[in-house]
Parts: sequence; structure tokens; C-alpha cells
Amino acid sequence: MISKSLATVNPCSMCMPMGSVLVFRGIEGCMPLFHGSQGCSTYMRLYLAHHFREPVDIASTALSEKGAVYGGSANLMQGLKNVIKGYNPKVIGIATTCLAETIGDDVPQIVREFQAQELLAKDVIIISVSTPSYAASHEVGYRVALKALIQTIAKKSKPNGRINMLVGSIISPADVRFLRRLFDDWGLGYILMPDISETFDAILSQDLPLIPKGGTPLEDIRDTANSKATLTIGGWVQEPGAGNYLENEFKVPHVALPLPIGLEFTDRLAANLEELTGLSMPECYERERGRLLDTMVDAHKILADVKTAVYGDTEMVLGITRIMTELGMKPQIVATGAANPAFAENAAELAPGSKVMMETDFSQIATEASSRDIELLVGPFMGRGIARKENIPLLRVGLPNHDRYGASHQLLLGYEGSMNLVEGMANALLEGRERGTT
Amino acid sequence: MSIVNIFEGREGHIAQKGEQSLPLACSSDSLAGAVSQRACVYSGARVVLNPITDALHLVHGPIGCASYTWDIRGSTSTGPDLYRNSFSTDMKELDVIFGGEKKLAAAIRELAHKFKPPAIFVYSTCIVGIIGDDLTSICKKAGEELGIPVLPVKSEGFRGSKNEGYKAACNALAELIGVRDYRPKGPSINLLGEYNVACDLSFVKPFFEEMGLEVVATFTGDARVEEIERAHTAQLNLVQCSGSMTYLAKKMEEKYGIPYRRISFFGLQDMSAALRTAAEFFGMAAMKEKAEEIICRETERVRPEIEAYRSRVAGKKAAIYMGGAAKAVSLVKAFQELGMEVVIIGTQTGGRDDYQNIAYIVKEGTVIIDDANPLELKELLIKQKADLLVAGVKERFLAYKMGIAFCDFNHDRTTSFEGYTGMMNFAREVSITINSPVWQLPVRRANLVDRRMNMEIMTGVSNDIQEPCHS
Repeated sequence: MISKSLATVNPCSMCMPMGSVLVFRGIEGCMPLFHGSQGCSTYMRLYLAHHFREPVDIASTALSEKGAVYGGSANLMQGLKNVIKGYNPKVIGIATTCLAETIGDDVPQIVREFQAQELLAKDVIIISVSTPSYAASHEVGYRVALKALIQTIAKKSKPNGRINMLVGSIISPADVRFLRRLFDDWGLGYILMPDISETFDAILSQDLPLIPKGGTPLEDIRDTANSKATLTIGGWVQEPGAGNYLENEFKVPHVALPLPIGLEFTDRLAANLEELTGLSMPECYERERGRLLDTMVDAHKILADVKTAVYGDTEMVLGITRIMTELGMKPQIVATGAANPAFAENAAELAPGSKVMMETDFSQIATEASSRDIELLVGPFMGRGIARKENIPLLRVGLPNHDRYGASHQLLLGYEGSMNLVEGMANALLEGRERGTT
Repeated sequence: MSIVNIFEGREGHIAQKGEQSLPLACSSDSLAGAVSQRACVYSGARVVLNPITDALHLVHGPIGCASYTWDIRGSTSTGPDLYRNSFSTDMKELDVIFGGEKKLAAAIRELAHKFKPPAIFVYSTCIVGIIGDDLTSICKKAGEELGIPVLPVKSEGFRGSKNEGYKAACNALAELIGVRDYRPKGPSINLLGEYNVACDLSFVKPFFEEMGLEVVATFTGDARVEEIERAHTAQLNLVQCSGSMTYLAKKMEEKYGIPYRRISFFGLQDMSAALRTAAEFFGMAAMKEKAEEIICRETERVRPEIEAYRSRVAGKKAAIYMGGAAKAVSLVKAFQELGMEVVIIGTQTGGRDDYQNIAYIVKEGTVIIDDANPLELKELLIKQKADLLVAGVKERFLAYKMGIAFCDFNHDRTTSFEGYTGMMNFAREVSITINSPVWQLPVRRANLVDRRMNMEIMTGVSNDIQEPCHS
């Protein structure tokens, strides 16, 4: 389908441990620890600090040559001990790196030994996930971390009448806050996980806690086994994960939904919530829906037939592709760095005639873009090279965004977020035109 | 007893001048679990070589290592921009199992044909070191076949710290130097350890040229492969970032007899000293005169503005946390020029000599720290009452969240800090962050309801009494 060159030129994806951190950091009192060489943690801290503009602490077991030869068990144990001493966490999320995986450390076994012999570990939950960079992209790292947390912590007890709202892909703190607001206004009981709304977007206060405040509380994760249903928001084209586990293990019915971007997909989330709760969508959201429609009508001509390239994480790309077609835009390139056949299938269905690309890089996207008269790019900031070279406006959405302010506050979900997208795309086009003529 | 004591095993790495005994423990592996600010061997190699603008930098490893280092440095170019791309062999599970040699060889060939670079650097990452791909022979073979230098950079992440990465990079550079004939037009120099972050070179290089010196090559800011190849024809190496480049300077001295001098382009004193060092070396009266003329002219030019900023920052306390020691030392002098006091100074990868030098130049009471982590930095910033932290992006948000001013002095800075204009910029940066009104904004709003209640309680009148109860 896609002629794949041997080298990747300008990657459109990150590595698995990165995804795991975005989940671990959404759990209350959770400290991530990378088992591997020091650089991995530093690079990802840097990358996330650039994006969220927040301090990002990720510990590392700092494996050296000795560790690589004799195994990393001693480093891992010392690392766990120091993390507990230094950060006093409720949970430690261990993600392996290439190095630890390749030397073959049995991390779960080392953790068991640590927990058996170390008094300090008594009250700390330690979760480990296998996340070598060579196995898959950050999206898979995110999914396996989410699943591992639920697998380890969820416990059957009394039905709680709540709904599990699993955030199935990477969204902004503002998006998470929006979801919370929506569910609160709806008056439904829910467990939202992971919750990065405060942990990656902390307020300026007088004290700086060791681990950022916020995140999904442990009791809530434990209670996911007792909920009446699970919705994975942004879990549409993902392989079975936490939601499926809860369904198989605890008979909690699971529905995987696309990210609520655009009218149809947001309506779909609303319909599911109505069905599950028997409560109608609150009036204020009906009004927001009306305003979105009004905005779409207002902008329909400037956006009509605009040829676009949309790239990035699978679920976000699909949501944005959908709203583009709702507006009469013409997505020409629908691309992701991840290897995900379900993405490709659904993308082709959403935007017939477009070039669907997976496991792609920016050099391939650039090649396709130059032959398709692309007028607008929508995706993370790394598309700026193409934007500059081909003189195409770029609307920055999603992670990473290193060269503009506001990544944490970018709301793309729901009727309101969709409105931001419509206006963002229209304005990007207008600004591009103005630049071109002056 | 250390001034901060968070992790066992870190005691020797932190000392307060006049309180604890020196030398500082350093050059050891980072402590597991302590959130070191250090990166890895690969990172060290990458930051040294990546500014070579027309070279192709290929990372042999899984995708992450290439993703996170794509266009990471603020090193700018006056010409080619191939270096701003990220090339990776994107190793997958099968490559790890069966070896990545074939893929690497094919990738080199493919990229060479497509981008026609004058040289290719091939970086090894952690797993390459474990599975044992033979980078050297693949690169050698590819180089012969393609007719361009294809240089292996042995930078497996776990084999040490950034320092080993600097060495790996210098070894690759050493292979490149000397392959091209050239005759400089007059007295000539190379600038080593100058990475042209935020166009720094444009504030420095013209002075040397004005003195009649030809800059044959810069290592590696805004460099071209060709310049590096003929760098052996220069008569003197001026070494700025000594941590990354002294090793190469020594190699060049041994092999080509080029002497080197350590200099810095940061701060008025150091910049002037750098020009004098060069003039002194060549010993020509006219050049010395020219240097003095430049120093006098430039200092006069920037002095009024720097004085103005100085009056707004003098007496404030600065904390310094840098990757390497050379910059940290230069910063101490620059803060003296601004009338500021340094209360904390630390580096990721300083060596024994570096810390001795630092201990010598800082005042009593200054805390010196090796391989710090956020918890220690946080505690030290509070205890030492720092008004400003100078460091990199990872530390920026720690400072901001603590309500402390911050100045970026790393790869990411977008303002030039070198030369005379650079010092002016630096003074401005320090002043605008320290004196920003944002630090004066109330973190807590005065709550009117609470305040009214308090007042009512104080005056003994409560709502219950004023208004009858609804019954």
C-alpha cells in the first residue's frame, strides 16, 4: 500500500515509554520510573516540559555499562527505594526502555522481590509495563499503561452505579477538564482515568508539591471493577485494552468511542451518555451544539473544498478528519506514525479518495503534500518544516507543540472544542492568505 | 552534614564553601531513582555534532532517540539546513532479534543518494551496543562505496555520561579533519566549543576578522563539512566549551601541532580576554592594537545599557545550574559584572578540576553541587534565597512554579548571549525576569465574602442578628 523507505526521515511518532508517562502522570500520587539508561528520562522530561510548560519529574534507574552486563536488578531496586524516599508516592509506574528489555531484565520478578524485602514498599503500589521503543509507538505505550493500572488495581466489591470514563488517547488538560465539566453538568456518577487536568497544568500556588496534585484517585481505579459501564473515549481504533479487560474480567459492559470532535462524534458521545443514564443532555450543551452548527454555517464557504493534510495520533486525526468532511473540506492526506490497520480502514471510509498513511514520517507526508496542492496542515508542530517549505498554513493541534504557547489549554473536544477547531482552521487559512499577499 | 540531604549517597556531591570539605565527588554514575538532570552518551555526541549544517545525521536505533533530538538545538545556520532533519533507522523488534546491520547499510545508501550530503554521521544507541551491530565496518564500507566520509559515532547511551558522548563526537570529528588541503590567507584560527546557538557567532566572529584573523572552522556551530576537513591548517585553536572540546584540541595539538587556548565569549571580561589571547598568540603589534581598539569601542558601546540594567539587578542572588563547567565559570564572572551574588553553582558533568576552579572563584557560603536533581535544587533555591536561576528548560518550570526568576542559558535559548551585544542581551534578560511585575501579583485574591465576615465578627455584628430568621 505504502512504499516504505528504509530510513525514517523526520519521525511522526514517539516511543512507548512516552505514552506510559502520560497515563502514570494522570494517577494521583503516581511517580513514573524508567528502567533504562539515564537519557531516556531526561529526553522525555525535556519533551514534555516544552509541551506542557510544567516541571516534569521522571525518575530513571540510570543503567550504566555494569548494569547492561550484569543485569539491572540492583539499579531497579535502588531506584525504587530512592523514589519512595524522595517522592513518597502512592503508586510507582515503571516503564522499561529498549536497554532494559534487550538485556532481558525480569522486571515483575525484581519488583516482587523488592516488595517482599523492603519495608518502605509496604504501602506503595508498583506497576510495571513493558515498553521498548522498538516494539510500537507512544500510543501503544499509553494503552498498555492504562490497562496495567486497571489490571493491577481494580477489585470487585459492591456495584457503585458509576460509569468508567477511560481517556483512551492523549488529549490536553483542557480537554480533560471539559469532559469533567460535561459529566458533572450531566449529573452522572463517573470515574475518569487518567486525569491529567491538574497534574500537567498545575496552578501557581505557594507550595510546590513533590508530585503534582490531582490525578485519578486510587480508590476510583479500584472501583472501576464495580461500575455499570465503561466508555473509552478515544478508543475507537485501538486494540483491546483496559475497557475490554473490565468487561471480560468483571462484566462491566464496554463501549469504545471516537474522540468527540465534530458534530457526529460528539453527538455519539451524548447519545451513549443518554442511553446509559436515562438523563437528557443538559440544555447548555444543546445550546453549545447550536452554536457549533452556527459556526460551521458561518465558516462553510471559506473552508469549502479546502485541501488538507491531517496527521498525528490516530484518534485525533480521525476526529479532525470527520469534522473536515462535515464542513465540506477535502482531506487529501490522513496520516499517522503508528502502525494501526483499523485506523487506515476508518480513515479511508471517512475521507474517500484521500491518501491514508500509517507508520509514516514527515518526509513521506511532504512528498504527498507537494503533489496534492495542500492548502492547510493540521497536526502537531513538527509539520512546521513542511509548512515553511511549501508555504502552507499550519494549525497546531495535539502533542507535541513546542513552539507555541497554550498546548495545555487547547480545547478540541465537544461542541465547544469543535468550534475552536472550525475557527482555528478558518483563521489559519486567512492568516496564510494575508501573509501571501503582503 | 550536607545543606540538603535527600538521597543517601549524594552527600559528597554537595558542599557549601567554607562549611564542607572539598573536593566534590563527581564523574560518577547518576544515582538510580534520583531524577538526575543528565542525559546520555548519545545526547552528548548529538549536541556536539548536530550543528554541522550540511552533514546528514543518522541515528541507528529505535525511533525515540531520533524523535526527541530532532531539531533540538538552537544552533542556527547561515546556509544549509540538512541538520534540521531527523534521520533514523527506526529499528523494530525484528532488527533487534536479527541485527540491524543490513538495514543500516541500506539506509545509508538510500539517504546518501537522496540527500547527497558531503558526510554522514552514524550514531549508535543503547540497543546497538547490546546486539552488537558492527557500525565501524558498515560505515567504512559505505564510505568507500559512496565516496564520502561515513563516520561511526560510538554513542551507546548507557556507556557513561554526556562526557563520553563528547569524546565519541570528537573522535568522529578527528577522522574528518585533515582530509582537505587548504592554505589560509593570513593568520588563522579555529573556534572550538562554539555552537552558534541563537546566532551567537555573528556577535563574535566579526571581531576576529577585524583583527585580521581568518576563522578556518568553527566546531561546530554553523559549520560545513568542508571547513572541518581543512581545520588542521589553522594556527591556533580557541576552545570555549572546554568540557566538550578540550579532548579534540589536545588531539589536534598532538597530530598537527596546533596549540590551543581556553577562552570564553561570554561576559565583557571574558570576551575581551579572548580577543587579547588571540592577539597575544600571534604577537603582531598591529593586531594587538586592533584588539584593544575593538575592546575599547565595544565596551563603550554597550556600557550605558548594561549599567542601566545593572542598577536594577545589583545585589540580587543568582543560582547557576549548567551542563558543563566552562559556562558556569563564565557566568560567575558575568554576574560579578552585574553586581549580583552567586549563591548556588552546579553542573551535570563537571570534573574534579572544574569543581576546584569553581570553588576557588565563588564566595564563602556558595553551594556547589554536582549532578543535581529537582528535589535538591528546590531545597537549595529556598535555603539560599535565590532570586534567579540560570539553567535549561527542564529547570525553567521548577523555578517559575517556585516564583523564582529564570534565564535560559542552554540549547533552547533564542537570544544571543555572546560577545558585547550578547552581554547586553543577557543583562536585559536577567533584569526583565527579576523585575517582572508578575512576581508581585497576589497569589491569593482577597476574598470579599471572607473579609466581610471577619469584619462583622470583629465588630460583633452578625447577619443573624441584623436579619430575622426565616421561620
